[in-house]
Amino acid sequence: MLTKATTGRAKRPAKPITLVGVDVYIITENGIPQFDDYGAFKIEFVSNRGTKVWPGYVSEDLMLVNWYRCRFMATKTVTDADVDTFLAALSKKWKWSAAQKLWNYGDEAGFSKAY
Amino acid sequence: MGKHVITMLPGEGTGPEICEAVRRVIDHSGVEIVWEYEDIGLDCLDKYGTLLPEKTIKSIAKNKIAIKGPTTTPVGTGHKSANVTLRKLFDLYANVRPAKLIPVLKRPWDQIDILTFRENTEDSYAAIEHMVSDEVAQCLKVITWPGSVRIAEFAFKWAKANGRKKIQCVHKANIMKMTDGLFLEAFREVAKKYPEIEAGDIIVDNCCMQLVRNPAQFDCLVLPNLYGDILSDLCAGLVGGLGFAPGANIGDNCSIFEAVHGSAPKYAGMKKVNPSAVLLSGVMMLRWIGENAAAEKIEKGMNKVLAEAKTLTYDAGGTASTDEYADAIIRAMDTV
Repeated sequence: MLTKATTGRAKRPAKPITLVGVDVYIITENGIPQFDDYGAFKIEFVSNRGTKVWPGYVSEDLMLVNWYRCRFMATKTVTDADVDTFLAALSKKWKWSAAQKLWNYGDEAGFSKAY
Repeated sequence: MGKHVITMLPGEGTGPEICEAVRRVIDHSGVEIVWEYEDIGLDCLDKYGTLLPEKTIKSIAKNKIAIKGPTTTPVGTGHKSANVTLRKLFDLYANVRPAKLIPVLKRPWDQIDILTFRENTEDSYAAIEHMVSDEVAQCLKVITWPGSVRIAEFAFKWAKANGRKKIQCVHKANIMKMTDGLFLEAFREVAKKYPEIEAGDIIVDNCCMQLVRNPAQFDCLVLPNLYGDILSDLCAGLVGGLGFAPGANIGDNCSIFEAVHGSAPKYAGMKKVNPSAVLLSGVMMLRWIGENAAAEKIEKGMNKVLAEAKTLTYDAGGTASTDEYADAIIRAMDTV
C-alpha cells in the first residue's frame, strides 16, 4: 500500500545554469516599441499576446494590446549586476511590469520562442 | 457568384489524399474555385527549413481564404505548431466548431447541436513559458479585455444570424479570478447588447460533466483557448468522433477552414481515412463566402450516403476507401 513513508519529494537532476538574456514586459500606448542599444543586451524580438510583431511579417489585422514582451539577449557573458544596470537604463524611457531572466540549463534554453 | 481564389493546404500524412477527395466533391458542387496549392507542415522542413514557408503565408494573405488538411505538431520539443502560427499570424481569433449528430452513427442521445466558439489567440497558447528554476516551469495565461470582447461579440453575432437561442460562457473564474474573471466580465458586458439571446455561464468542470450526461441542454458555448480546445473535442466525440468534426478559424479579414483531427501518418497513402471532417470544413467555408447552394448540395449528398450506409469509411463501420466515399457523395449530389 502507498504510504507517506514510500513517497518522497522528487528531485530533478540539476544542470549548470547560464544567464543569457532577459524578457521585459513593457507597457506602452505608442505602438511596437523600438529600442536603443543597451550594450550588454540586444533586442531579439518583440511579441504581443504571444505573437511576434518585430522583426518580420505582421498582419495588418493583428490586434495589439498595450503590453509587449521584449526579449533582450546578452551580447557577452553577463551577470545579475549587468541585468540591474540594463533595467535601470531601460526604466529611464520605458514603463515595464515585469522582467524575467532567461537561463540556459546545460545546452537547453529554459524559455520559449514567440510565434 | 464569380470565381473564388482559395489557398489549398493539403498538409501531410493523410492530408493530401483527403484534400484531393474534398476538392473533387467541392468542384462537383458547381462553385467556381481556382485552387492555389501551397505547402505546410513537417514535409516542408527539408525543402524550406520551416513548417510554414513564406510563399504559403503570402498566398493566404492575398486570397484571405484557405482550407487546410491536417499537420503534425511535435510534442515537447521541436518546431512550433504550424496551426497555432497561422492563427496568430493572421489573428484568426474565432475558432468555430459545430457538433451535430450524424444520422448513421448511433449515439445514446436523440439530439445534439452544439456550437463552440473558442478564443483562438490568447490564454496559455500565448506560448510565454519559462523554466524559472531548475525544477519549476511557468506558463503565462494571457487573457485581454479586447480579445475577450471580440470573441464574445463574434459568438453573439453568429448566434443571432443563425437563429441560435442560448450562449453560455465556460470558465473557471471561481479559481482564476483575474484571467477567467476578465473573460467572464467581457462576456457579460457584450451579452447586454443581445437581450434576445439567453446568456449564462458555467464552470468548465461542471460543463464537462453536463456535456457527458445531458448534451442536448447546450446550444452555444464561448470559451477561452484551452477550455475551447478540450471541450470542442469532447463535443466532437459526442456526435461521432473527430472524423466528422469540422472547424473554422476566422479573423476580421482572413479565414482558414480545417478539420479538428491530426494527420494520422500511419494511414498515409492507404486511402482509407474518412474525409468528412475536411469536407464539412469546406461546407463551412462555402457558406462563409456566400456559396450556400453549393454548401447545401454537398451536405445533402453526404447525409444521403451516410443514411444509406452502403459506402462508409472504416471509422463509420464500413470498408470504403477515401475515394470511394467521395465518389458516392458526388453521385448522391446529382440526385438530391
